[in-house]
Amino acid sequence: MGLLDRLREVVEGLTVHGQSTAILKVKAQIDNLFMIITLGDMLGIPILPPYYSMRLLPYVFPNIQNWKRYMLRERDFTDLVT
Amino acid sequence: MKGLSGLLQENPGLRVFIYAGKGGLGKTTLSAATSLKLSSMGKKTLVFSTDPQASLSDVFEQNVFGKGEVKLADNLWVMEIDADKKINEYVSSIKKKIIDMYRLDALPKDIEEYIDSAAAEPAMYESAVYDAMVDVVSEGKYDYYVFDMPPFGHGIRMIAIADVLSQWVEKITELRKQAYEYGRVAASLKRQKLTYEDEILNELEYIRGRIVKFRDIILNTKTTAFMMVMTPERMTIVDTEKALEMFDSLGLKLTGIVLNQVYPPDLAKRPDAPAYIKRRVEEQRKYVAEIVDKFGKYLVAVIPMLNREPKGLEVLRGVAEELWKPSRRVEEYL
Repeated sequence: MGLLDRLREVVEGLTVHGQSTAILKVKAQIDNLFMIITLGDMLGIPILPPYYSMRLLPYVFPNIQNWKRYMLRERDFTDLVT
Repeated sequence: MKGLSGLLQENPGLRVFIYAGKGGLGKTTLSAATSLKLSSMGKKTLVFSTDPQASLSDVFEQNVFGKGEVKLADNLWVMEIDADKKINEYVSSIKKKIIDMYRLDALPKDIEEYIDSAAAEPAMYESAVYDAMVDVVSEGKYDYYVFDMPPFGHGIRMIAIADVLSQWVEKITELRKQAYEYGRVAASLKRQKLTYEDEILNELEYIRGRIVKFRDIILNTKTTAFMMVMTPERMTIVDTEKALEMFDSLGLKLTGIVLNQVYPPDLAKRPDAPAYIKRRVEEQRKYVAEIVDKFGKYLVAVIPMLNREPKGLEVLRGVAEELWKPSRRVEEYL
């Protein structure tokens, strides 16, 4: 990694890092909603006919594992706090 | 009775004929006869069926199952969808796409299981059939399309939920665009690239298009004649009443009813007619009267019971003529 890249990361970290993390959090929530609507039947929530929703599968494939883990995770009251 | 010719005169824009009703009433025969007549008038016609049983292959006495569009006579093509094969091909293409896109050796087990179980669902079968219907009609290669519908399952409710689905897809698209915006901002802040957002939006638009198109084909009364087949029996009367209620709730308008398998009335008048036949004709007459009373405004044609199985082009031509221009008035059956 060159000096310039290092410098860029430092500047990024000082300026926009918090911002982009917040934005990514919102995006993750929206993505999550999207997954429930389109591939909900994977978890037993059928909304779109699978014949059509299956077309989306290849594109969301990398997110599926994380999404399922997130959805199926046990939750307890400490979740409310965080 | 106006017959199909009268129906076409009243609605010259008709391009699609759909025969619906419960099994065993003669949907396939009437579909075949309709297509035969339309094609004989020099119009390019496709008759389409999905049911591997009671099939067009039987009626036309030629194996056409799963072979795509097969030419049977001048201007007449037949297509018998092998829905299972279509689903299998579709599912394998999705699997292959995932494996290729992410350069995997094999699919993760849970994804494979999900795809396989979704493919085995009965709704999948109907969706595939309706999707094929949308395919051939949008292609627009033919002057007329005749559909031999499988007996209704839950899939027909797709019409009812088409609006809901289409709004859903719109909302999802919006959601996706939002995610895209957020992703884009975050990515540009972090100088990363977004992946597949455009593809997802395209797919969503495609899905919406298909669902809307299917609904339009079924619900457009200017271009589509939605026909029910009945026989003079208590069971079909009850069934049709129920179906009409269902159509109402789906916003689907019935175009016409074809009454099939009616014994010629003069049969019972002959002095040498056996009591067996007389009894049967008497019973049918009662139900014909009830049908005229209840569904008279829909009645397009009455097809007499044939003296043999409706197989082969020759026999079908007879049925087609009767369907096109009924030779008797409905009163003669009463």
